[in-house]
Amino acid sequence: MIEAWFYLLFFPGLIFQVICGLIFEWLDRKLLARFQRRVGPPWYQPLADMVKLFSKEDLLPEGVNDLVATLLPIVSLSAILTAGLYIPIAGFSPYSFEGDLIVILFLLSVPTLAYYLAGVVSVGIYSTLGGGRSLLQFFSYEVPLLIALSGPAILSGSWSVKQIMVSQATLGPFILFQPLGFLLAIVGLIGKLKRDPLDIPKAKSEVVGGPLTEFTGAKLAFWHLGMNIQAVLGIFLLVNLYLGWSKGANPLLTIPVFIVECLVLVVLLSGASAIFARLRIDQLAGLGWRILVPLGLLQLGFVILMGV
Amino acid sequence: MNKISIPIGPQHPLLKEPLSMQIDISGEKVLGGSLRLGYVHRGIERLAEQRTYVQNVHLIERICGICSHIHTTTFCHAVERLLEIDVPQRAYYIRAMMCELERVHSHLLWLGIIAKHVGLDTIFMHTWHDRELALDIMEELSGGRVSHATNQIGGVRFDLTDHQEAMIRTTITDLSLRVNNLLDVIKNEPALQARTRGVAKVSPEMIHQYCVVGPVARASGVDVDFRRDDPLPPYDQLDFNVITHNDGDAWARTVIRAEEARESLILCERILNEMPDGPVHVRAPRRVPEGEVVIRSEAPRGELFYYLRSDGSDKPARLKIRTPTLAALSLLPKQLSSIQVADIPVVMAGIDLCIACADR
Amino acid sequence: MKKIKDRLSILRSIIDALKNKPETVEYPFGDLEIPEGFRGAIVINSEKCIGCGLCVRDCPANGLELIKKSRHEFKLIHYPSRCAYCGQCEDSCRHGAISHSNQLVSPTTNPRGLIVVLHEKQEEC
Repeated sequence: MIEAWFYLLFFPGLIFQVICGLIFEWLDRKLLARFQRRVGPPWYQPLADMVKLFSKEDLLPEGVNDLVATLLPIVSLSAILTAGLYIPIAGFSPYSFEGDLIVILFLLSVPTLAYYLAGVVSVGIYSTLGGGRSLLQFFSYEVPLLIALSGPAILSGSWSVKQIMVSQATLGPFILFQPLGFLLAIVGLIGKLKRDPLDIPKAKSEVVGGPLTEFTGAKLAFWHLGMNIQAVLGIFLLVNLYLGWSKGANPLLTIPVFIVECLVLVVLLSGASAIFARLRIDQLAGLGWRILVPLGLLQLGFVILMGV
Repeated sequence: MNKISIPIGPQHPLLKEPLSMQIDISGEKVLGGSLRLGYVHRGIERLAEQRTYVQNVHLIERICGICSHIHTTTFCHAVERLLEIDVPQRAYYIRAMMCELERVHSHLLWLGIIAKHVGLDTIFMHTWHDRELALDIMEELSGGRVSHATNQIGGVRFDLTDHQEAMIRTTITDLSLRVNNLLDVIKNEPALQARTRGVAKVSPEMIHQYCVVGPVARASGVDVDFRRDDPLPPYDQLDFNVITHNDGDAWARTVIRAEEARESLILCERILNEMPDGPVHVRAPRRVPEGEVVIRSEAPRGELFYYLRSDGSDKPARLKIRTPTLAALSLLPKQLSSIQVADIPVVMAGIDLCIACADR
Repeated sequence: MKKIKDRLSILRSIIDALKNKPETVEYPFGDLEIPEGFRGAIVINSEKCIGCGLCVRDCPANGLELIKKSRHEFKLIHYPSRCAYCGQCEDSCRHGAISHSNQLVSPTTNPRGLIVVLHEKQEEC
């Protein structure tokens, strides 16, 4: 019983995920700044931003349904935190069960829907435009992402993330067999997190803030925290599915390797953010359905043949 | 889908200066727009009638922050033409060098802005880092990065020492390398081309109909450049290329400004090499005889037009300024009727808005 | 292959940026290079000032004021919050008395109360 409270609140529950989310935001901003010849923020900046947002006035325009607008960030953050309970951190996962990959993916699509609803419920032109775009983007990246992420499951014969990670100890890291799937998963992750180059719903020059234009104060803090924790969970998921390595479950070796793999993925995401320009929504739809989905199916076919 | 109207209002992340537009869209297609100016109107022309000519040189500099030097240069040329004094050649050459450096810094600023609107933040930061070199030269010579009080009626206020000339030469070489690098990146980067090719084509007939000047006109094939067509000294003795493109879309407007920046740096070096010796300033009387004069010059955004009438006292009777952005803005609603919503930033930034100039 | 190489043309600039230090000067902890000709705070050479008032007449921002009690008794006041730091006073003065130093003017929370008395000459009895 005490154990359950510890897992829920501390590790891998609330406190651990929040700290990881803040560290991820700091790393991302610092790397981006160094790529652009700037100094970048100090290590306590994301924490200071969160505290500052909590102290601001909480305002909503006239005509917005207050109850829905308050519930949406809370529901989104809760779904993300719950999904984090099932992802193994350096081989340790107290609640894993068969089929939890599907539960994680389902829980992680709740924030996207909440984002769209936030755009609809805020009475404002920029929010509605951004909300419409976010739904179009959801249709374009979600299918390639799901196709790519089912590759490791088929190869290892199990739908539990911990099982997939453990089976890589005998078969070798899955990235060697499915490099195309790894690339598709990264593109899908960038689309899910709405980062540059796929930050079309909240492009500052076109729709001022997207669906979150009208949110202030504690609600905005929850949205940002949700985005950051979602990024961290996406990175953990990719590391477990493609770069698993748990020979003998010796913690002295698995923890540093896990951290290094996560850092490599963070550098990859920040580099993609710095190098590529923002796509237009019709270019993204074309890319998603004409290039990514066929490649995903090709990779899936290859995996099935190899499994047989 | 029904028609909604979004305001690109006085405050928007897209705009550097306040401007109000109402754009009608339907889905992702833009139907048209209407424009409203006047948010930065300060009454400069009326204020100029209440100050002496000596004080007006500093007032005119504050019309715009990016193209401040060309405004004072044109004003000083107008007053010197009325006074009929002989300004030394070395002063003209120093003025021209600062004009070309200002053209370089203005075009680099604009390239950063268009990269930022397309989503390439990295190019934005790197371009503005290179622009700092041009501003360093101007600070070393004149004492201010943005407000360079270079001109006075009768010449310029400072002379170049040998140490400064050596510093300028090394910095210009460094800057030329970086601008060439930037031109390579822009021409090869496929994302920038994908966002700007074929967007908002402007034909030469529309250019003539709306009286558009500057890089926007040259990008559509209309060959007009007032450094060559109606030259102020020393441009009548200098040799340079005028760059035109025939496409008329947003991509041509991007490339032409980068190539003009490179050409301006070559011209800067030529000015340094051909600069004659002599004084830099001649004393000018404070009272200007009666008369009226029209002076045109080439600002980074196009043709700058000054009309000055004096009535024999030490204050002007009428000063009329016509800036190039005003003509380009009248083309904007027409350009907006054939694009998608995601292209709005590219089109609005493509005419290089300088609302402070347009509103005076 | 060329398309991939084109896409990575920014990569060279990024690697360049990582090799050098960032360009930001962490003011006021870092050192700022100010050139000599920078138009900073106004200073006066009291020996040369005769109180003619040419600088006051030519200032475009009404930043200088001359209070004259008699031919040799006068007070010259400068308002740093109105001053445009243009250097016209330096050009107008025929005796070389007033000029720009290259010191920065420090910020204040009371700009209208910022008055600098440049020069005060009293009659000797």
